[in-house]
Formats: sequence, C-alpha cells, structure tokens
Amino acid sequence: MRIELALFASLEPYLPDSEPGSGRRTRMIDLPDGTTVGEVVARLGLPDQPRVCFIDGRGVKEDATIAGGSRLAIFPPVAGG
Amino acid sequence: MSEVDTQRELREDLADKRVGIIGLGGLGSNVAAMLVRTGVLHLVLADFDVVDESNLNRQLYFREDIGRLKTEALADTLRRIDPDVELDLIATRVGEAEIVAIGRRVDVLVEATDCADTKALVMNAAAQHLPDLPCVAASGLAGLGSANTVVTTALTERLWVVGDLTSDVSTGLPLAASRVMIAAAHEAHAVVRILLGMVEP
Repeated sequence: MRIELALFASLEPYLPDSEPGSGRRTRMIDLPDGTTVGEVVARLGLPDQPRVCFIDGRGVKEDATIAGGSRLAIFPPVAGG
Repeated sequence: MSEVDTQRELREDLADKRVGIIGLGGLGSNVAAMLVRTGVLHLVLADFDVVDESNLNRQLYFREDIGRLKTEALADTLRRIDPDVELDLIATRVGEAEIVAIGRRVDVLVEATDCADTKALVMNAAAQHLPDLPCVAASGLAGLGSANTVVTTALTERLWVVGDLTSDVSTGLPLAASRVMIAAAHEAHAVVRILLGMVEP
C-alpha cells in the first residue's frame, strides 16, 4: 500500500528519499498492508523522544494500523515554557 | 462606533467562552492574563507546582508569591485585572484522564507546559480523545533566535503549535522573557481568534 508521510521539525531529515508528497515535509512511501505507526517509526529509525502521531488529522497511538491512501504525520514537541 | 464600544463588543463576544490552560509557567501565566484582559472570563487553570525564585525571569509571579501554589498566586493576579473572572483551579499533576475531563468543559484547550513529555501528553490527549476540540500548543521558544521565527503552525484542523518548533531548552538554551512572552502572545491570540470563529493559518 502507499501512504503519505509527513515529518515535522527535527524529524524532517528522516524523510526517506522517495516521491514528494503534497507538502514540503512530506513523501509518498510504500508499506506492507497492516503496518502500524510504531513499525513506521522503527523503520525510519526515529529517535526515542516524545512525539505526537496523526492519521488523517486524528491523533493515534503507535499501535494503530495505517490504511492505504492515508496520511501519517509525526510531530516531536521540544521542551521550554 | 467608538473605540470603547468596539472593545465592549469584543468583550461581550468572549465573556461566555471557556478556556482550559494546562501549565502555568512562562506560557500559561501570561496566556491567562492576556485572555482575561481581552475579555475571557471563564478559565480552568491546572498546575501542580509552587512559585520558585527561578520563575520570576519570565512568569507572571512576584517575589512575594515564592512558595505559593501557582494556581493561587495567578488567581490573585487575574482577579486584580478583572474581579469578575471565574476560575476553576486544579493544583494537582494532571494525566490523560484529567486533561480529557478539562477538555470536555472548555471551548479551547491550551498546552502551556514546559517539558516535552508533558507537551506530548496534552497534545496526544486532545488529538486522540477530543478530535473536535481546538487545542493550541507551544514548542520551540527557547534561546535568543529572532522573534520572527516564532509562528503558529497548524498540525491538523484542530491542533496548532506556536514556536519555531526546534529550539529546545533541554539542549542548554536559555529561556528569555521576551521570546517566551512572544510565544504566549501567539497562543493567546490564536485562542481569541478561534473563540471568535476565525480560521487560524
């Protein structure tokens, strides 16, 4: 299946070198059916840090399964306030 | 319409709105004051901490507040700004369930905490359990980078993040009152615009 991946802020360098998606921080990627958010995180080698994950704009836990054609976005908040 | 009338109309439009603020440090204390000054009179304020001398460089507290609960000290200041303000004070550490409960009672939720774990906790709670609730968060306000790099970014149709997204206090960057308050002002202004039905970028 093919999905759109968006990585924000410090995660942007982890975007794979694949077909660009609809925005500057996005790429189209191919995944096996039934892939979870956590499996994408591991596959990309994202650092172990707090993050917020969305599928099609809805917050999800990392055990959520991604459907083909959807958009997975991952944002890593940083400290300070 | 006079300036006074214009201001009165804005305040009337905001008077029945409710905003929840998680974290009352450099962001939350200043966001709360700006909202009350603008006309938001119902706030749910959550922070477990007490005022420390190290907070006085950027947070809306005073030397005589040291040792007091932030909820109590901030409530006194907000009531000095507007005695009609109605405050619900939560002086305990909040988890996902409490954040969701607060979110169900307000029109907009503000993430104003200081550590990345808690920021993710608040944003995840809102995005996973309250997908229709507008939430304004902050990330990337440490250091002395240009004020112009602090912007409001839409992560989803209901979640906005204020900041440059990368300047991390845990890397040793200082927290300057000016830049923290710029971020707080962005958060407060986004909240006001959302409450008035405007569309944030």
